Formats: sequence, structure tokens, C-alpha cells
Amino acid sequence: MTPLALLLTLSCVLFTLGLFAVLTRRNAILILVGVELMLNAANINFIAFWRYGQAGVEDPNMIGPMFVLFSIAIAAAEAAVGLAIILMVFRHTRSTDLNRLDSLHG
Amino acid sequence: MIALFILIPLIVLAALGAIWKARPVHAALLLALSLSLVAVLYLLLGADFLGLIQFSVYVGAVAVLIVFSLLITRPSDETKEIARRPQSILAGLICAVPVLAVLVYSVSYSIGSDEVSESSPSQFELAELGKSLFTTYAPAVMAVAVMLTAVMIGAALFARDFNQRES
Amino acid sequence: MNFLANQVDLSNAVDAPAIWTTLEALPQLPNRLVEWVGFQMNAPAWLATLLGMLVSAAVVVGVFLTCFALVSLVERKTLARIQNRYGPNRVGPWGLFQPVADGIKMLTKEDIVPDKAEKLLHLIAPIMIVIPAVLALGVLPYGKEWVPVNLELGLLFFFAVGAMTELSVFIAGWASGSKFPMLGSLRAISQMVSYELPLLISAIGVIMMTGSMSLPSIVEHQSQYNFGFISNWNIFTPWGLVGGIVFFIACIAEANRCPFDLPEGESEIVAGHMTEYSGFKYALFFMGEYLGLFAISGLFITLFLGGWSAPFAGLEFVPSWLWFFGKLVCVIMTMLWIRGTWMRVRMDQLMRFCWLFLIPLSLLTIPAAGIWRFCGDGFLAGLLGWGVTIPFLIIPYIIITVILNRRLAPATRQYHFAE
Repeated sequence: MTPLALLLTLSCVLFTLGLFAVLTRRNAILILVGVELMLNAANINFIAFWRYGQAGVEDPNMIGPMFVLFSIAIAAAEAAVGLAIILMVFRHTRSTDLNRLDSLHG
Repeated sequence: MIALFILIPLIVLAALGAIWKARPVHAALLLALSLSLVAVLYLLLGADFLGLIQFSVYVGAVAVLIVFSLLITRPSDETKEIARRPQSILAGLICAVPVLAVLVYSVSYSIGSDEVSESSPSQFELAELGKSLFTTYAPAVMAVAVMLTAVMIGAALFARDFNQRES
Repeated sequence: MNFLANQVDLSNAVDAPAIWTTLEALPQLPNRLVEWVGFQMNAPAWLATLLGMLVSAAVVVGVFLTCFALVSLVERKTLARIQNRYGPNRVGPWGLFQPVADGIKMLTKEDIVPDKAEKLLHLIAPIMIVIPAVLALGVLPYGKEWVPVNLELGLLFFFAVGAMTELSVFIAGWASGSKFPMLGSLRAISQMVSYELPLLISAIGVIMMTGSMSLPSIVEHQSQYNFGFISNWNIFTPWGLVGGIVFFIACIAEANRCPFDLPEGESEIVAGHMTEYSGFKYALFFMGEYLGLFAISGLFITLFLGGWSAPFAGLEFVPSWLWFFGKLVCVIMTMLWIRGTWMRVRMDQLMRFCWLFLIPLSLLTIPAAGIWRFCGDGFLAGLLGWGVTIPFLIIPYIIITVILNRRLAPATRQYHFAE
């Protein structure tokens, strides 16, 4: 198994774990935990392909790390806004359980 | 290579704990552990800068934000979460396993096509990254800057308690 | 003494007396000794390197643990003098053995873990407080030759490991399972996250001027002299002065010291996140706090006060690490002075001061550093740089403090019966 395959498998597993968390958790903050895992899975892909994916290429580029840099910045922003929204929801409903947010329920 | 074989199971184990632990603070701390191990992975792969950035952003900011909001929101008790487990796990598995299968299949398919050699891995050049950040990617940097400003203002606005305005 | 001769040849002091050159090499002595012994015994290269690294790490930890013991005594003595008392004076001459007595007391105390505590996390937290402080101490350049770990991204490494402290403070507060630690850790986290921003932003100007994140090269850049004698420290430039003051204030806040010691304000929330700890674990918290204080003061010295460089040309014959530790003593005494004279701020004042004053001011230092760099070197260019950057910094400062924050300023207190 090459390192690239190993890293890609890791990223697949992390993504699935994140998806699982998003699907099964009911606490909004813990859903955010799952989202962070999924984002990191994508980042690992970029780093893996930057490191091992351009072996024979002349003049290898830095697009992978660059993308990860932006991705980390955006992930931090996403966490901040997400948690601010969750706090606001909490203030209205006194709960972060997403099952309780059913006031538009028909 | 050996380091990868040690590190990757650790990352997966910590992530498993993060999605499995019923107590929210434990889940958040295990997420922090998992993401800091990913930072170590970046360091191992030669992307020092990204590893350190990953560590300071995820452990210093995101994990702290998550535990902070867990403290503020008094998370619902975990007994209900545990009671609901069998059905939610079943539903989660039904959705997640096909996704994993498709991902692994596509990865194995794309790697199997051409052999990627381990030799001559790319080097991380910080100066080059910095230069291209402010030339080629300058519009993207500006967009991120505008977004971060908007996020800061927006988060401050959202988190503000409108009911008890200070005098 | 083969290893010593080798070292003396390396140091570039020309006319200095032999004693100074030997002193300059003193911190490396154990390290060289181990390498020399390894060489004599034909040890494999990796073993000698590993042992050398372990020994140099042990030197740093040993030096700063001694500093910790001394400073904990000096702090009590100084505060006592400021408050017109004697301070500890019973154990040994001038109370010199007070740290030893304290240590014995701490170690022999019963280790109490509350029933409601999360046992594992309760144990991990004090360890996690000490680790980042020690790691951060490892990357600072203490002398010309004395750099324990020379990282290219040293500054980033310093801040990255510093980020761990917040999480460990949270763990300490949460795992104790009672109210005061929880409140203390909430306060501590919000304070540390807020003050991390001005700390980082005011360091950016230094990175811009040096063009590197490696701490030794930042010091190297400051160790030259303008006009033959004025040292090129960053604090002697307009942006560096503003950045340095902001950085120093943020340092005090990051180290949780008075006037920003709300997380462990004794009169309000017992001891904050350390309330439920006793014995050795409490000692570890104490140690982590002081080591963190040394690390952050060391970073302040490295970034703005010229690290190991001498203040005037012609004083270079004194060993460089002596200058570093002399500056460390000055910075820490200033912090003690502040602690002895200022009162603790309120929580809202603390946050407001950071977000409405320190962060805008530290953001200003980035373009100011850019302008300074653009003006270039030399007398006229320096004059131009001062002329442009001073209004650039002072006008927004006046706008921020006098106009925008006027509503928030505390009213002048009326002493009705003072006359």
C-alpha cells in the first residue's frame, strides 16, 4: 500500500465518520464536530495529492497547501458563525437539540 | 511510512471517540485530539507551516469555541442520546456505509490506474507560498479577508443578547 | 579539553578577555561534554546527537526551574517591600530557602480528587499546562550560540503550542466538577482567546521587518547598530514602540497576571480553575504559570528588546545570554511593579480594553511597519520614516481613545470630603 493510498483511505474514513456524526447526533454543536471532521478529511486529500501525487511532474506546484490554507481559514469562520447561530437558537428555545426546532412543523 | 501506520489508526480512533462519546465535552475534546493528530500528520508529510496553522486554529480556536458554547448551552443530558442510539445508529449506518463504499471504490479505482512512486516527494516552500498568496491568489486573499470581517461582525451580532441591552 | 577549545574558536569575540569567551560558551558546556565523551567512547552518531539534545533540553529546564524558584521568592519579597512589609524572612538567610520549604509543603500535601471530578481529565490538565510552556521555552534564542531548537517557523511554533494552554485551562475547570473552577475557566478562556489576537497581530510587524519567522534571525536583525552605537531594537522604531507596548500588555494578560488576573481572582472566585487541585498538581499549575510567564517575556524580549544583543555598541564582550537574562529580570520586575501598584480590572473592562483599544492599535502597527520598511535605512530615510509613521499612529490613537471610547471611559471620581 503506497502512502498516497493510505492517506486517501484515511480521508475516506474520516469523511464517513463525520457524516455519521452529522446523521446521528441531535445536539447542534456535536453536528458541528462532524462537519469539522469532514472538512479535515478533504484537507488531508489535498495534502496527500500535493505530496505524493506529483512525483514525476517537473516544477511541482503549491496549489494543494494553498487550498488547505484557505480551507482552514474558512473552517474557522464557519465554526464561529455556526456557533453564534446555535447560541441564538439556544436563546430562543433553551435547547440545542435540533429535534426541538420544529415550530414550522406542519 | 511506519510513522504513518502508527499515526493513522490513532487519528481514526480519536475521531471514532469524537462521534461516539455520549458526553458532549468528551466528544469535543476527542475532536481536538484527532485534529491535532492531523496537524502532526501534516508535519510528517513536510508541510510544517500548515501543521502549525492547523494546530493553532483547530486546537486554539475551533475546539475552544466548541467547548465554550457547550458550557454556555448546558447540553441536554446524555441518557436520552443513549436511549435513542439503536435506531439512530442503524439510520446512520444505512447512509454512511454506502458513502464509504463509493469513496473507497473510487479511490482504489483512481490509484490503481497509474502507479504513484514514493520517490521524490514535493517540498514545501513557504516563501513561494507567501509570494503567490499575494500575487496569483490576491483576489482570493481579499475575498477571505472580506469574509472574515463579515463573519466577525455577524458572529458578534448573532451572539448579542437583544433582550437585555446594556445601558 | 578538546571540546572547549573548539568552542572558544567558534565565538567571534576578538579583544575580549578570556573569561568572557569562556562564559559565553558556558551554557553549551554540558552539551559539548556529552558529545566529547561520546566521541571518545566511539558511540554511534545518532546516540551522541540524542544525548546532546537531551542534555541541552535538561539545561533549559534546569535553568528555568531555578528561575521559577527564585522568582517565586523575589515576587513575594518585592510585593512585600511595595506594601511596606518584610515578606518571607524565616527560612534561611533573607528567606532564601522559602521556595524549598514551599516545595516540600506542596509535595507532602494530600492529593485530593473531588468525588464529582472526571478522574482522568482532572489528572491530565496540570500536565497539559506545563507541556506547552516547556515546549515554548525550547525555541527561544538565549544567546548567540545558545539556541536549544532552531526552528525556521519558531514564532509560529511558539503561538501554536501556546494555543494548547487554553484547552488545558478548560479541562482543568470542567473536570473539577464544581462551580468556581468552571467560572474561572470560562473567564480564563475568554480572556486568553481575546488577548491572543493583539499578541499575534503586533508580532506581524516584526515578521514583516525581518522577513522571517525564525527567532534567531529576528534577533540577528536587531543586533546591528545604527550610527555606530544605537542598537537596532524593534522597540526603538515607532511601529515597534506601539507594537511592543501592546504586546507587553497582552503578555501580562496571557500570563494571567495582575491587573488581568481575573481567572484566579482570589477575592472573587477562590482560585479559578485551580480551586479543586492540591498538592503536587497545584504545584504543577503554579510551575506552568511561571514557565509560561518566562516564555512569553522571553518572546517579548526576542521580538522587541533585541533578544541577546547588547544595548550599546562596545558592550558585546559580555556574554550574550547574560544580556538576555538581564532583560528577563527587567521585564519580570516591571510586571511585579505593575502587580504591586495596579488594581484588578473588571471583566467587561478587560474585554472592552482588548477589543476596542488593543486590537485596533495592533492592526495599525502592520501598515506602519510597511511604511517604515518602505522608507529604508539611513539618517534621512529614518527621519522620513518617523515623520510619516508618527502621525499615522498617533492620529488614529487619539480617534480611538478620545473620541470613540469617550463614552466608555470611567468617570472622574468625585471625592466629596477630600478638601
